[in-house]
Amino acid sequence: MLTVIKTIFYLGPLIFGLGFVAPLSAQIISAAGWALPFGLTPLIAGLIIGGGLGFIAQIRGTWI
Amino acid sequence: MSPTQDLTQMTEAELLRMEREIAARHINKFPYFAVFWAFSNFVVWLSLWPLVFMGVIPLWLGFIIASLNITLSYLPSHEAQHDIIAKPGSPLRWLNQLVGHISTIPLVLPYRVAKYTHMEHHKHANDPDKDPDYATHADGPLSAIWRSLYYRQPRADGGLNAYGAALERIGRPDIVLDGVIYQLIHFGILFALAWSGYAIEAALLWWLPRHIALTYIQFYLSWAPHHPGNESGRYRDTRSFRSILGNIGSLGMQYHIVHHLHPRIPLYRTPQAYWEMKPILEARGCNVHEL
Repeated sequence: MLTVIKTIFYLGPLIFGLGFVAPLSAQIISAAGWALPFGLTPLIAGLIIGGGLGFIAQIRGTWI
Repeated sequence: MSPTQDLTQMTEAELLRMEREIAARHINKFPYFAVFWAFSNFVVWLSLWPLVFMGVIPLWLGFIIASLNITLSYLPSHEAQHDIIAKPGSPLRWLNQLVGHISTIPLVLPYRVAKYTHMEHHKHANDPDKDPDYATHADGPLSAIWRSLYYRQPRADGGLNAYGAALERIGRPDIVLDGVIYQLIHFGILFALAWSGYAIEAALLWWLPRHIALTYIQFYLSWAPHHPGNESGRYRDTRSFRSILGNIGSLGMQYHIVHHLHPRIPLYRTPQAYWEMKPILEARGCNVHEL
């Protein structure tokens, strides 16, 4: 159990990126009515943004 | 005693006796407003969710109110941490603990984590190795804000991230679990709301207001009253200061030196206690020049 919790916290930035930033980005894109290139849906764009930012934060250990 | 009276000729014992007499007049006063504040602030923050979801109030208004709510959530818990509402063993002890636990839920700060680390801060204020809040020390206000954000990052070793190490050092690693549970529930709720189509609401009613509140609280409760924070000792580790936002805007921290000297004086009595004690603090060489 402890190992699972430590792993969750270790992967925190990536999980937060996919779990929160991705749907947040998708809903902001939808609310703003932005047209996306390459036929991307807001959700796919959100996953790219959230996953990308989360991955960078995971590597760097910081979001800023 | 006049606020301008010169007491520099008095002995250590006389100064201490006078200081204690003043403190005694302000201790054991029931902080009615802090109790009302704790519950009303929490209920208002909770009510924002249905009010925004049902379109009764706009999200931008909910965001502003939530930011105020979460910023104001710490202080009632702080009164409870110092047993100001009710001491251990007294009939209203349950109320003290309830206020302590309830009020910092929006801040995602468990009461026991806050209490035990705060007691360490009082014992070791400005000690780079033992003060859990030492990471908030900074050269100036902008630097203080930046450090507050910086030390909140995933792999930073200061700020709230330092609380776990402090709890382990004092032999209470069990309390770290409170923080883990709070974090898992907090992020679980955020993720569930986000994937249910309420990500913007979750961001503006909890996630962003919490970060604004943490920055504001760390600025006014930790950085400003201890700046420059390069001395330790009962009369040297804290100061009084003049805030451009006044005493209310600075969350009552202009007179924080009184709190460090006598932590059981309720927040609402610290201004009066400060002005009564000021000649003593000046005679002690305290940093009370701004106010």
